[in-house]
Amino acid sequence: MSVSFLDREHTVAPPGYNRFLVPPAALAVHLSIGQAYAFSTFNLPLTKLIGLSSSAPGDWDLKQVGWIFSIAIVFLGSSAAVFGRWVETVGPRKSMFTAALCFAGGFLVSAVGVHLHQLWLIYLGYGVLGGCGLGIGYISPVSTLIKWFPDRPGMATGMAIMGFGGGALIAAPLSVILMAHFKTAASNGVLETFVTMGVIYFMFMMIGVYAVRVPAPDWKPAGWTAPAQPKQLVTSANVAVDMAWRTPQFWLLWVVLCMNVTAGIGVLGQASPMIQEIFTGRVTAASAAGFVGLISLFNMVGRFFWASTSDYIGRRNTYMIFFLLGIVLYSSVPTLGHLGSIPLFVAAFCIILSMYGGGFATIPAYLRDMFGTYQVGAIHGRLLTAWSVAGVLGPVLVNYIRQYQIDNGVPKAQAYSVTMYIMCGLLLIGFLCNFAMRAVDEKYHYRGSTQS
Amino acid sequence: MNIRLAFLWILVGIPLLWGVLKTLENALKLFQ
Repeated sequence: MSVSFLDREHTVAPPGYNRFLVPPAALAVHLSIGQAYAFSTFNLPLTKLIGLSSSAPGDWDLKQVGWIFSIAIVFLGSSAAVFGRWVETVGPRKSMFTAALCFAGGFLVSAVGVHLHQLWLIYLGYGVLGGCGLGIGYISPVSTLIKWFPDRPGMATGMAIMGFGGGALIAAPLSVILMAHFKTAASNGVLETFVTMGVIYFMFMMIGVYAVRVPAPDWKPAGWTAPAQPKQLVTSANVAVDMAWRTPQFWLLWVVLCMNVTAGIGVLGQASPMIQEIFTGRVTAASAAGFVGLISLFNMVGRFFWASTSDYIGRRNTYMIFFLLGIVLYSSVPTLGHLGSIPLFVAAFCIILSMYGGGFATIPAYLRDMFGTYQVGAIHGRLLTAWSVAGVLGPVLVNYIRQYQIDNGVPKAQAYSVTMYIMCGLLLIGFLCNFAMRAVDEKYHYRGSTQS
Repeated sequence: MNIRLAFLWILVGIPLLWGVLKTLENALKLFQ
């Protein structure tokens, strides 16, 4: 593969190119990096690298291992923010290739860390290097898809970001199968699984690198013309990334995303113990794993469903639904637990998690509506710092409040009630910020050429 | 072009479908 193959100029689509070839390219990348959501399948095995069947002296504990995922999420957000403009400049192919190198490289460095039993190498490998792969890979197809689908930007980005949710559904069983396959008397198979996954994901991401194309600057979908009278809160102007983050709209959207993600990620991380503790004796660990799988499925489907719906009802209205319906559902959880209704409890969380995924998938189109297409990928990258903050805030809120409740004598089954009401408070803040959204002031508009 | 389109979608669709089926298989345990 020559280096020029990766250049933006070599990715411009010829006339007549079918734009539906681009979403699978984006999916190939997002399905791969979505593995991050399933990293917890390695947590327990990583605590038994020496003892194999159980933790032995010298083995790492769960707390230490838990930092790998947190570091990866922090580097996801920060690399998306730092490299966003570079991604816009070099185009999707080079950035996808870089993401593949970082993500696969992260697995390989982590495998060395497992071999030498050096945790810092795993923090550096999967956490830092892999995290950068996650961030660059996450934003690399976004602006390309928005340019290919000006008529349906929500659907297009929803399709790609759905892949990030779907990646966990593939990676969780794949990791378990690979670890079982490579398990020997001397190894629990983690090292070999890391190497295999690094190779598999690199090859799969290369499908995206090969298939992705950017539209020619003057390209439009056949028969489509930009509406003469744009909808409310849909701009026809552009705002550059360095100006965007000085607007109140950027920070309102930052809080909107942060609140939506904080609420969802907190329960996603604690879903298994939560359902077992609320329905003590009625839900086993195996069926709790089924619950986690089911809400992950809704997290994935919600990404496509809500982002596509937002093309019809508007982005602001979509988030209004997330926040209002979210408040109703979160506040009903303690009652549903009290009633002992597992199906209603599960249904409530399926809808909640669909809106969590929907929040991620609708935000690129919301950014496009507010700031135009010019540097939307870079602006999206900066907004993803909200994810990094939420990734720490959500689990901390759920875990610490639960523990505080239990320490103060509240039965485990009721220890989540206060958390749910706090989540409602967070969603109310998100609702108010979304409600306050107005069009970006003209003084922030970019006047230069937007062809790149 | 259509063959290429179908091939690409199948290539990304098969692993996704496999993941969804595995997840549903697990999820059924919740209601058993």
